[in-house]
Formats: sequence, C-alpha cells, structure tokens
Amino acid sequence: MERSDLLELFRSTAEEIAEKDFSHVHEEMPIAELGIDSLGMLELVGAMERELQIRVPDEDLAGIQNIRQLLDLIQSKQSAS
Amino acid sequence: MLHDRNWKPTLVERLAALPQTPERGFRFFTTQGGEVFFPYADLQKEAYRRAAYLSAQGLKQGDRLALVIGEGHEFVLSFLAAVVAGIVPVPIFPRPAFKPLESYRETLDHIVRASGSTRMLTTEAVRQHAELDRLLQQSGSPLQSLLCVESCFEGEVAPWTPPAVRPDDLCFLQFTSGSTSLPKGVMVTHANLVANACAFLGPSGLDRRDDDLGVSWLPLFHDMGLIGFILGTLVCDIPVIILPTESFARTPRRWLEILSTYRGTITYAPNFAYQLVAKRVRERDLASLDLSALRVAGCGAEPIRAQTLRDFCERFATAGFDPKALLPSYGLAESTLAVTFHPSGESLTSERVDAPSLRRGLAENATSSESNESVELVSCGRPFPEHELAIVAENGKVLGERRVGEITVRGPSVCAGYFELPEASAEVWQQGWLHTGDLGYLSEGNLYVCGRIKDLIVIRGVNYHPQDLEWTVGDIEGVRRGNAVAFGTMVDGVEELVIVAEGAASEAEKLCALITQRVTEVHGLRPARVALVPLGTLPKTSSGKVQRRKTRQLFEEGELPLHATTHEGQDHGTKRPA
Repeated sequence: MERSDLLELFRSTAEEIAEKDFSHVHEEMPIAELGIDSLGMLELVGAMERELQIRVPDEDLAGIQNIRQLLDLIQSKQSAS
Repeated sequence: MLHDRNWKPTLVERLAALPQTPERGFRFFTTQGGEVFFPYADLQKEAYRRAAYLSAQGLKQGDRLALVIGEGHEFVLSFLAAVVAGIVPVPIFPRPAFKPLESYRETLDHIVRASGSTRMLTTEAVRQHAELDRLLQQSGSPLQSLLCVESCFEGEVAPWTPPAVRPDDLCFLQFTSGSTSLPKGVMVTHANLVANACAFLGPSGLDRRDDDLGVSWLPLFHDMGLIGFILGTLVCDIPVIILPTESFARTPRRWLEILSTYRGTITYAPNFAYQLVAKRVRERDLASLDLSALRVAGCGAEPIRAQTLRDFCERFATAGFDPKALLPSYGLAESTLAVTFHPSGESLTSERVDAPSLRRGLAENATSSESNESVELVSCGRPFPEHELAIVAENGKVLGERRVGEITVRGPSVCAGYFELPEASAEVWQQGWLHTGDLGYLSEGNLYVCGRIKDLIVIRGVNYHPQDLEWTVGDIEGVRRGNAVAFGTMVDGVEELVIVAEGAASEAEKLCALITQRVTEVHGLRPARVALVPLGTLPKTSSGKVQRRKTRQLFEEGELPLHATTHEGQDHGTKRPA
C-alpha cells in the first residue's frame, strides 16, 4: 500500500472512531492533537490491523507520539508479513 | 463457609482450599491472540514453583517486588508466587502505548521508590521498548535488578520452604492510579482482601453461585480488575475468563462475544465501557449475541449515568440482556475495593434531584425532570454486613437522610493506610473511619454519590490529581507558573476536565491549543474545555495559592472573563477525547 493510501486509511478510520472531521491530518501531527485517547487509539490500530491483515504488538506502540511514527510502524509490519 | 471472612483468612490458605477438579480454573486470552487455561491446581503448582525462584533471587518475606507485566497469566502467576512467598507484589501499569516513555519511566521510578521495591519483574518486550534498564541508573533508587518472566523461572533452584503468612500481613500494595507524581501505595492485608471478597461476592453482594463464570477485560494492575476478577474470585472460588484490556480496546465487541460464547454470568466495567459497546456493536453482531446467562453486569469506578445504562439495556434487549443484571456500586482502593453494592437481581434505582439545592447540601427531588437544573443520580446500594457507612459534615457531625456530606466507611475491608506515608494516611484514616473524600447522601439506606471533596478528577475510571495537570500547564511558555487551575465539572452526569489559565490576550488562542496538546500528551487526557483568562483573574488565597473550588464555581456560573476558550463538546463515549 502506498504511503498516501495508508494516511488516507488512518484518516477515515479516525473519523469513524472519533466521529469528527480529520481532513486536516498530516504525518507530522502529534497524536495528542487528534483528541483521541489511548484506548481510542488502540481501537483505531485494531481497525487498521483488520483492514491490512497485520498485527502490531502493544509494546511496539510505546512512545509513539505522532502519526508518522505510527504509519512507519504499520508499514514495517506490512513488509514483514 | 466460603463467605465467612474468618474461615481461612489469608489468600494463601484460600488458594490451597480451592477445589482440584480439572474444569474449574482461570482462562486467559493472550495478547498474541491465543488462549491458555489453568485449572486451580496448576495455578497453585506454578505459583509455588515460581516462588522458589523469587526466593532464590534474595527476596525475603515482606520485601516488595514491582510487577510490570502485561500478559495476564504471567502477571497472575508471578503475583501469586510473590504472595505465597510472603513477598509483597506492587502491580504497575505495564503498557505505555502512545505515551512519552520518559514520563512513563518517571512514574515507574516514583512507585519503585515509594514502595521500596528492590526488584522489578517484567517481560523482555516491555523492558526493551520502555528501556526499563534506565531505571537502574537513577540515583538513590532502591531498585537493584530487573527480572524478566522469560528467564527468571528457569534452571536449577535451591529447595525452598514457604513461610507462615498471617491475616494481618501485607498481601500487596495497590497504588492509586492516574497521577504522574503522587501515586500512594494502599496497604492491603490478607484479612482486608478476604473480608472484602467475602462481602462483595457473598449474599449481600452479588451472591456467588457454583455455576458462576466471570468475564473481565479490566486492567490487572488496578483494584477493580485485580481484586474483582483475580483475587476475590480465587478467595471465593469463581472461575474466570480474562481478556487483555488491549483486546477489548481494539475490538470492544469482543467483550460481549466472549460473554455470549462462554455464557459468562458476571462482568464489570466503568460507565464508559457500557456506552462504548452499545455504540460499537453492529446490527449483524446483535443477532448472534446471547447475553441471557449474564446475571451481574456491574458498574463502578467512575460516576454512573442512568441514561447510559438504560441505553445499554435497550440496545441489548434482543440479545437477551436482563436489565436487572445491572449492578451499580461504589468503592475505592483504600477500602480494598467495594463499599456498597446495589442488591443483586433488583432493578436499577435512580432519582432526579434539584441541582442548586444539591450544591447547598440537600438532595431535594427535582420538581420537573425537564429542568436543566436537575441531575439524575443512580443508587449505588448499601454497605455490606460488618461494615458501616456514615455521611459526615465538615465538622465531623453525622448527617441525616438526604443531607450531602463526606462518605466515611468503617469495617474489616478498610485498609491500614498508605505505605510509609503516616501523614497522608492520618488525613484519610481518622479514628477508625476512612474518609473517602467523596460526597454523597443516603436515602432509604441507599448511597447516592454526587461529587468529591478532594479536588481529584476522575474521568473514565482514572484518577487525575489537579496539581499534576496544573504543573504541566504551568511549564508552557506564556502561561504564568502557578496561575493555572485544573478541575472536573459534571456535564449531564459525566465528569469533564476543564483547564483555566492566565495569559496574554494576544496569545490566547495559541495558548489554548498548546495547553490542550501538552495535557493530552503528558497525561493521556484531553481537556473538554480550556479557558484563557486575563492576568490576575484567578481567585487566590492570602498566601497566593490559586483556589480551585472557587475557580470552578466562577467558571460554572459563567463569571470568569475569558480571552479565549475551546470547547471539545460533550463526550459520552461516542466521540472520545480522553
């Protein structure tokens, strides 16, 4: 999956979970600015895992602070599988 | 016998008394997606096997052992190993997902010091990802070594003799959740644990049955998950299924699917979780869900909203959910876990009271339920036998029916104090009574909880100390240090975080956004409202300290002049800003 598609998947999933508009998200945006708490972020990761048929272990999410880091992590799981 | 707190009054004896039938035990779903079942006999055997290794590490009876383990069965087996060896386990939040690692390690470091833990038992994955080895380099830390479950319990081990464990011995330290700098270790003795378990699982609680099966995704480092579904259930022999919290978070409906598949009879969750699953479950899932076996759906740990529970009932009626299963409750770690329970099997009781008179200390029935100035409160039920509950005024006088005051509790579940904090303990434990800091009133013997005396903010079951949030805000350039106030305000029965800070008008909007971002980053909690007010606006004491309650009152009454304000809107779990 292209990086831009991945960001788009992130965006649409976030919109579904938080029920608000995320058309302005970009890769350098801190996760804290999304207004989704860590349980909500896990739900988001869960939805992306199902969509992409990958698994992101909980531990790997430690210290993830912005969208770029999260997408990097997801991409590394895609190429590993 | 199981419900008699004097029968085998230690967890060690209760563990040994569990039936050895192979079908009774604990089932754990793993974070890797698998599952593992431990009959009680295997839990015991493995706990004693591991205890020998802990002992060989030099840990002696009474020593504290920090536990930072996310995998359910590894956590439980290690916890029990410590307990049978007389070592005091100190469970700590094991998953810093989306949190800055530095502030996570600071919390760990604080708890290690506050508990005097000389060893930390963790997993390779957490050790590596959170770089826990750095904790060993902190000067003055009591921590001597890090142990990992993957390697700690292997190889030759010296023969070991279990020590005698007495009812008044410390069973574990329950650190109060949420704060970055102030967690305190509640001392839970074996006698406390057994007394509380016998109370909330006994006839005046949820009235344990032989065919009960508990299902929980609650975190195991926190009292509701740990005592409610691990220790209490072991004390009273209730098999359970444990789902990792992350599994629930990733797929909330899994909670209900497991309840349905295994015909779980008991579950428990904070208010927000009932709201979340009612929202997330899909029509096509409803058809395959069968919740008819569920006889206790407990609710606690944060303010309970009647409408949430009614919505849940309505949503899951077709799945066979019995509204009488809902069991609101009240409790706190300082009283082990549970203080009051709504009578099991009885319909939810709620009442609508007039908000202005409630603020003045009297719970008057609201004349019109349409009034904006009324609030619906849910009954949390009655205290357990051998336990007393009194509502007291500030001067210590016991208050009568429908008068609002501090909830105080006395009885065998009430813990001994905070570990090595005599002064903080003396504020909370006074003449045998535990002062909860929560506000409530009694009506026809039922407890209604309506706020807090302590400035503690409780959102989604997590406690936040305003001081910590204020420090974070005070560190932001442009905010005057010591001129920020954090408090919780009730909006439609749900607590929301509000931050009010002083700053210059020219930077107001930028600062509001920065405050929201910093607080969310550091504390994992997004403020619902941030207000920036002119310099000199916040009310102060004569010594120059900001007055939180006065600020809250001014804010709620709309009497603060604002440079700028952000409003995230109402969060009932549908949208989820922390």
